[in-house]
Amino acid sequence: MTWDKLVEILRPDFLLHHALYGSVVVGLVCPLVGVYFLLRRLVFWGVALPEVSAAGIACAFLLQGFGLNLLAAGGEAQERHLAIAGSVLFTIAAILGLVWLDRRGKGATEGRVGAVYAVAAALSILFVAWNAAGETEMLGLLKGEIVTISDADFRAMLGAFAATAVCFLVFQSEFLLVSYDRDMAVTLGRRVLLWDLFLYLLIGLVISLGVMTAGPLVIFGFLVIPPMAALPWSRGMLSFSLLASALGGLSAFAGFYISYAYDLPLGPVAVCAAALVLLLSTAASELLPRGHRA
Amino acid sequence: MTEAPSLVEFKNAAIGYGKTVVLKDVSLQVRSGDFLGVLGYNGSGKTTLMRTMLGLIPPLKGRFVLRGGGVPPRFGYVPQKEKLDPIYPLTAHAVAAMGTYRSFDFWGRLRGSRQSAHVRAALKECGAHELEGKMYSELSGGQRQRVLIARALAAQPELLILDEPLAGIDITTQHAVLRLLKRLKDERGLTIIMVSHRVQAEKDLFTHIAWVDGGKVEVGVAAEMLSSGRVNEVFKEEL
Repeated sequence: MTWDKLVEILRPDFLLHHALYGSVVVGLVCPLVGVYFLLRRLVFWGVALPEVSAAGIACAFLLQGFGLNLLAAGGEAQERHLAIAGSVLFTIAAILGLVWLDRRGKGATEGRVGAVYAVAAALSILFVAWNAAGETEMLGLLKGEIVTISDADFRAMLGAFAATAVCFLVFQSEFLLVSYDRDMAVTLGRRVLLWDLFLYLLIGLVISLGVMTAGPLVIFGFLVIPPMAALPWSRGMLSFSLLASALGGLSAFAGFYISYAYDLPLGPVAVCAAALVLLLSTAASELLPRGHRA
Repeated sequence: MTEAPSLVEFKNAAIGYGKTVVLKDVSLQVRSGDFLGVLGYNGSGKTTLMRTMLGLIPPLKGRFVLRGGGVPPRFGYVPQKEKLDPIYPLTAHAVAAMGTYRSFDFWGRLRGSRQSAHVRAALKECGAHELEGKMYSELSGGQRQRVLIARALAAQPELLILDEPLAGIDITTQHAVLRLLKRLKDERGLTIIMVSHRVQAEKDLFTHIAWVDGGKVEVGVAAEMLSSGRVNEVFKEEL
């Protein structure tokens, strides 16, 4: 019975509770980043950066395969920490590189982002191919399998997601100002570069941890789809962020339930659930003029 | 009689981007209470001059000081309305409220209601209070212009800088915007710099004119600039 499955996954002793909570938290937090991608018209960053993050994970494992043990802890914990380090470093380096090239104002932004995506995807495959010994574990991480994560690591990951979510909400006015009208921000004496860097750092952290948790496909899906579904119904940044986050969390939960109940792969099901929400939102917004919305 | 203090001063400055000099040998002063019209053809460097005044780009050489090198004046900036992306889901009130984003301390973030009253007053001053709950993206060009001026006023400026505020709006709204600017100058003593590529209705407001052409800036009292020389020659149809 599918109802039994729903009750089962909600039990505290549910075997895959890390995967469930991780998916829902990713669903809640990724849209908080995604709203800025959508508003700054950087949606393609949402495709490229998770792939870069995946390449960072693969590179970290490759280095370990070559005997470069960079972290003190041993075993699975070391592998996971190394993967997080690689993911964060690659993602933030890619963001800073793209921002620097954008500021120079030469060439097409879409072309650069496309090139970053292609190179990152190619490197991910090559890094995995060069490190046959750890191929299975790496593929698991790249797909975002979090079933085996330790409680301590899982709590740390949730804490990091919670901290970034709080930052997005607390500093929303600053992030809005530097995104909407940089010139105005400068005339008001705001340190635009620092706020931009802070925003990019948070974006990098969410994407890196998200890819570790749910894999690049799910992260791209949740960066873009819930904010698109929320946009027609929003009347301010706070309502936009909260609605996108709520739709993301709901889609992730629904995706997990369907995946578990019907034995389907989690990531693709979660993305399809988010897409269904987008479809319903678009249809409803077409039928209901803005003046009649909440 | 003592002269009003200088808020903006250029002396033999070169202005441009990177290694490209757009305007050279710029010398001008904007004093408290002035209404400076920055005029010139499209692409002549008006916006570059304005962006330098706002501190958005540094001058390439020469002297550029704000308030004699003391505490810089508070700017109220009104960009061209097309510059702001309508994809943002913001009400007119939310757009105008950005004028109050100069700084936030911890408690300031919680004082939404006081800021809200301040923003409402700015919207009312611009005749845009009935728009505050409407989505900015759904407003007409003239309504957006009023909201952007309200946003600049919410910053409690000493110096209001407007970039082509009359472009793309109907004649009735143009006059309403000009009446608003006149009131702000006369009643609040606001110093105003307005970039424009025409002088039709606004010529009576300007106290001074900066004519930007051929990489140079010619500055003078408005009446003199309009009655003779290059400005008169270019705009004689409108005058």
